[in-house]
Amino acid sequence: MSAGDQARVSLLVAVAPAAAFRIFTEEIDAWWRRGLKYRLAGRGRGIIHLEAGVGGRLFESFDAGGETRVVETGRVTGWDPPARVVFEWRAANFAPAEATEVEVLFQPSAGGTSTLVTVTHRGWSRIRPDHPVRHGLEVEAFIRSMGMWWGDLMTSLREHAEG
Amino acid sequence: MNPDLDQTFAALADPTRRAVVGLLRQGPHRSSEMATALATSRPAMSRHLRVLRRAGLVEEEGLDDDARVRIYQLCREPFAGLRAWLDEVEGFWADQLRAFKAHAERKPGKRRP
Repeated sequence: MSAGDQARVSLLVAVAPAAAFRIFTEEIDAWWRRGLKYRLAGRGRGIIHLEAGVGGRLFESFDAGGETRVVETGRVTGWDPPARVVFEWRAANFAPAEATEVEVLFQPSAGGTSTLVTVTHRGWSRIRPDHPVRHGLEVEAFIRSMGMWWGDLMTSLREHAEG
Repeated sequence: MNPDLDQTFAALADPTRRAVVGLLRQGPHRSSEMATALATSRPAMSRHLRVLRRAGLVEEEGLDDDARVRIYQLCREPFAGLRAWLDEVEGFWADQLRAFKAHAERKPGKRRP
């Protein structure tokens, strides 16, 4: 555990930081994985958007019975191209004041021809202790209600818990 | 899997208590040492340690030669529960970054900034 309540993942990508930042943000729908684990619309025609600049929204839009629905995951709170983008990450049942935070760093590598991309997802301990999803629930139920993104994870976690 | 992940999160929802955990990851400490290191009063440190102890995150041990001196250390088990959750979060982002890498490296000629 690196610092209490955060998850961190890094990967080296063979493009320069400026390109990595632009592709990560502008082309997010092209690379963001499909399926219920990653998108509300699953493999359907949902589109992930990340609007540029502080205050921009991270959201998914999808067709629901002929009308477009929008579900916002959070707002951009840090926008420093090509080095860094920060956005809130809020599951559907979080209160308005509750959010975890995702920070993405783009660090030059190999003389600037490659980029080390690091995602840090922090703030899991900030969700208020008396949140309905946390009150008196078993961990499995807690995790289930945490999110809209975690379908597959619950299965693996349950297997992990029961294994 | 630890069923008290909820309590773990609550106890760690405080920056001082996270700092205490950070100190204890380096090894056992006295309460007074941690109060000094974190610029916290001793009574405040006692309260934080009580919360951490009730959450099962830390345990105390009296020294053989002086029962008044308590040494605190981390309990491993609750962190395994939290770690399992964070592992899942990391798995999610690892999948996403691999997909991002595959996309970003696919068309290098078009990736001039």
